[in-house]
Amino acid sequence: MEETQNMENHFNDSASSDSNDCQRVDQYGFERAEDFNYESYEDFMSRHLAVVTRRSKKWTKLLQGTVKVEKNIKVKRYVRKGVPCEHRTQIWMAASGAQDQLDRNPGYYHSLLKAEHDPKIEEVIRADMHRTFPDNIQFRASSEPCLQKALFNVLLAYGYHNKDVGYCQGMNFIAGYLLIITKDEEKSFWLMDALIGKILPDYYTPTMLGLQMDQEVLGELVRMKVPAVWQVMNRHNVMWTLVVSRWFICLYVDILPVETVLRIWDCLFYEGSKILFRVALTMIRHNENLISQAQSLSEICERFKQITHGEYVEDCHTFMQKIFMEPGGLSTATITKLRKMCRNRITSA
Amino acid sequence: MQVPWNFRFGIVILGDSSVGKSSLLHRYTEGTFDESRQSPLGIDFKVSNMYFDPDVVIKLLLWDTAGQERFRSICKSYMRNSVGCILMFDVSQRQTFDRVRSWQQEVLDYVKPNPMFFVLVGHKCDLAVGRQVRKSEGDALAKKLNMLAYLEVSTKENINVKETFETLTRGIYNLFQQGKIPTRGDWQGLTVGATVQKESPVTKKSACCNCG
Repeated sequence: MEETQNMENHFNDSASSDSNDCQRVDQYGFERAEDFNYESYEDFMSRHLAVVTRRSKKWTKLLQGTVKVEKNIKVKRYVRKGVPCEHRTQIWMAASGAQDQLDRNPGYYHSLLKAEHDPKIEEVIRADMHRTFPDNIQFRASSEPCLQKALFNVLLAYGYHNKDVGYCQGMNFIAGYLLIITKDEEKSFWLMDALIGKILPDYYTPTMLGLQMDQEVLGELVRMKVPAVWQVMNRHNVMWTLVVSRWFICLYVDILPVETVLRIWDCLFYEGSKILFRVALTMIRHNENLISQAQSLSEICERFKQITHGEYVEDCHTFMQKIFMEPGGLSTATITKLRKMCRNRITSA
Repeated sequence: MQVPWNFRFGIVILGDSSVGKSSLLHRYTEGTFDESRQSPLGIDFKVSNMYFDPDVVIKLLLWDTAGQERFRSICKSYMRNSVGCILMFDVSQRQTFDRVRSWQQEVLDYVKPNPMFFVLVGHKCDLAVGRQVRKSEGDALAKKLNMLAYLEVSTKENINVKETFETLTRGIYNLFQQGKIPTRGDWQGLTVGATVQKESPVTKKSACCNCG
């Protein structure tokens, strides 16, 4: 166990080095739940760290002497197996094009901060400050440095930069994660822009059309791939938005365990939004019986909450392997076709 | 356990962002207070049974909504399946009170031709300083907008929480008994279930159940 401890510290480059705190909060500053199972965690961590160490060595070798991240089969495989924490910012920045934007627009982010801001946007953002990760010590008003201020800046700057979007609730969780990982406002800002402006189609604009569309697309995919679940949803007249809107808006933040979310984001930045469907389909398919045996609307909702917890999603390595196997083929052509169909359905309704 | 219900009401909780909608619902169904409750980012719901007469069980489908305007497109369809609305503002944020009238109008326009009955809630009334809306103003507005009642509520101090849900439910029940609420086959706002059994009073009380 001592070895595990040392290795954990090695990868723990965050808030605290105090060993008590290490137990109480995770390496990202999140407090562990009171019923946190340290025993199964230790068990997981000893396996997890062995994998992470191995991946870390491979990545270091891959990145030797370069900052570019190529799009090829090898790197894709590397990304799917997980980007080590120390390379995460660099890979996300490079793969998403955020680094290019930052290089091409020096000083832009800071000029946004100095601009005159819309008081309405400011009011909504401010209202979300105290409810963004209250369980994370880095976001406490009393912590030093406090990420709340950085979070406020990034969101305000983004609202000014992308006036079509402004601020949409849920973006606070995304910016929050970016700050935890990059520890840098400007990088977080450009990564936000890559996600919201490029990777996710129209999720956060006032019509939320892209979000509505993708929820319906998921419904169609479930109809094809997990018909029993589609039938129970249909029988009880449950709209997909009721059970999955949070999954899509928050990109699984606060839904799935932190480590699993980061692994999903590795692929999101490198491969694009299709990964969001893979994750949803995998959980739904794995729990097909549980969901399809639900007797009512409320039972369905409860079960959709239940399936985002537990060992299946905590073991991020196995889970990430599953998402590329369990749902079967998911071609870009299919997604594009379904998106078009669902978009028409929504706009003509 | 399945509890046979006599009526099912859909109730939606609306109001500006961060006036305390989720906290109120959480206090009512779970009995606890959590200041940092997150927005449902869309729509969330809870089920609760109300036994206000010994022989009448009303099942409440309680819809919690995100206050930010853009989420309205997601919440709308569930507004249509409601008969009652708890419309909330924050007594320490004047602008949230000023928007009550437009909230109500928007809901009424949307659910037409079905009816919607409102109670107005002035939330965070425990705040000793910083109050920006007087009780008399809340009373007057509720009256003017034909709402069933105005209540000053504190989720934190557990003031008038139960009363809010009871006032709305009882109000709707009474109106229904007076024949003022028509039921339609395709409208889920108010549904009549099992006929009221006078001779078998319900003795067991539970706050929440899973029955369909």
